[in-house]
Amino acid sequence: MAAWVKGGATGADTAIEAAAALLAKARAPVIAGLSADVAAIRAAYDLAGRIGASVDTAGSFGTYAELGALSRVGALTTTPAEAVGRADVVLVVGAAPWQASLLERLIDAKPTRGRAAGSERAFLALGANATASLAWPAEGGLPEAVGVLRAYARDHLAGDALPGQIAARLAAAQYGVLLYDPAELGEAGIEMLQGLAMALSETTRCFTLAVGGVGQDRAVVPVSAWLTGQAPRSGFGRRVPEHDPWRFDAARQVAAGEADAVLWLAAVPVARPDWLSAVPSVALVAEAEAQAAEVVISVGQPGRDHGGVLWNEQRAALTFWPASAPSNMPSAATVLGALTERLAAGQAASRSEPAC
Amino acid sequence: MSTLTLRAAPPERIDFLNINPLALRGLSQGEAERLEVGTTRTGVRLGDCFAVALDGSDSLTIEGGHERLDRVGASLSAGTIRVTGDVGQRLGAGMAGGSLTVTGHAGPYAASGATGGTITVEGDAGDYAGGAVYAAKAGLDGATLIIRGTAGAHLGDRMRRGTIVAGRAGAFAGSRMIAGTLAALAVGDHPGLGMRRGTLVIGAHGRMAQTFVETGAHDLVFLRLLATALRGLSPEHAALLGRPLRRYSGDLATIAKGEIWVAA
Repeated sequence: MAAWVKGGATGADTAIEAAAALLAKARAPVIAGLSADVAAIRAAYDLAGRIGASVDTAGSFGTYAELGALSRVGALTTTPAEAVGRADVVLVVGAAPWQASLLERLIDAKPTRGRAAGSERAFLALGANATASLAWPAEGGLPEAVGVLRAYARDHLAGDALPGQIAARLAAAQYGVLLYDPAELGEAGIEMLQGLAMALSETTRCFTLAVGGVGQDRAVVPVSAWLTGQAPRSGFGRRVPEHDPWRFDAARQVAAGEADAVLWLAAVPVARPDWLSAVPSVALVAEAEAQAAEVVISVGQPGRDHGGVLWNEQRAALTFWPASAPSNMPSAATVLGALTERLAAGQAASRSEPAC
Repeated sequence: MSTLTLRAAPPERIDFLNINPLALRGLSQGEAERLEVGTTRTGVRLGDCFAVALDGSDSLTIEGGHERLDRVGASLSAGTIRVTGDVGQRLGAGMAGGSLTVTGHAGPYAASGATGGTITVEGDAGDYAGGAVYAAKAGLDGATLIIRGTAGAHLGDRMRRGTIVAGRAGAFAGSRMIAGTLAALAVGDHPGLGMRRGTLVIGAHGRMAQTFVETGAHDLVFLRLLATALRGLSPEHAALLGRPLRRYSGDLATIAKGEIWVAA
């Protein structure tokens, strides 16, 4: 396996030793990215618990926009397969969903199941438009625009202006689907959108569907829930998992000088954030390069080099992906396990040392 | 008056949930200095960062604040805390009574979930002042929050009860408000977006969402009562109610029982 310490190629053991040394002396280590298979995410939480690290994900901005709205108003959601099979009206909220592969599937097929089977599928758009039959530019921003639709759906606004027409089409649909990208729409917008789906569901069927998540965030959310009872951004500094989306925001911690070591986990490739270079870091990445971090260990990509459980976008579930091109690259879970063992043997710093 | 004097910038975020006059009253100097206030695996004890001087009274002064001091006065039920300097997130979160004053700036989520007492920030406050933390049912819930400087975005987000008075505020002031009163001299875009009930009194605003409808000018007895109530907190804000007012009703996306009063 390939590994680098401070840019120089080295062996696996030396790299793990260097990574362990870097993490052992840190006061507030952060494990970020978490773009990996379930086994590696579990190993990352195990390591975090052992060294008192906090955890953050690659796409946490969008993930927390979703979770924040979910925790307050709940959610009416559907799956991509159900949307393709049943939706006769699709509202595309914002620009990002137009780039999603799901949209092509929706455009290419007609509904085949349920009450709308055989009918044409209509596309409506809010914000950006590509090929929709009805589109409203929404100058006031997406949260406001979704709110206007919701006001029409609740009969608090009336008339045949564009948003009124869009709301009427949704209300007349057999099975409406509202497509959005959580990071683009934001928490306020998602909460509005869920309210719109709920208002429409008083008389017909209407569901939301999020597209375009980053990394393996959708796998991390259930794994962190079953391991800690909390959402992903948890810290183990005080031995118990504490959930605090503001305090454990990795980018904020680095900017404020609170984090003094970062382990970046991206066995499933994901863009590396800028702040990573501002702090001593260890990178466990599939597409490794010497300069990615102070210590770089190349790991196998789940679903390619080795099998692993990943989020399946198509089926909206965690599924096992066998290795498509098996190799002898170590899995991220193995490397994290070795790190945890090394740190347990070396005994991380205790809480009773003097501080200031 | 007990005093904690900051000796050096804290090396990590400090949690002051358990540091209040009531909790310190029964402790000896040594016991207080050994209280764990750190948040990382290394940990920090109160005496590591602060010089402690206790006198068993119900008022506490923190000389020298820092933006890493989290949850100052959180869950305070009685007594007085005064901070000379800045504080971090969740100032006075869940506070039930007493009085809390910060002479510098406060981080995000000040007064979140506070049910009673008065919280005064003489400088600026971060985002979500008087707003709800993740998964909380409500933001400010009965307490009084006064921000003399500028508040960040989402001031009073999901607030349920109580009063907020702020100099200026960012975007989404009073968003998703459940009930309560918020007064500000100027706010950013989208005041009150998603509000259900509640009253906003503002001097100037950015973009008003299309889901708010103007319902004309009114002269209500309630407004004079509100002015009397606000005068004790901030005469400048009470004066807003003396000007001609336009009333907006909304947010029409929700049950639309909220109102925004805009002074001309």
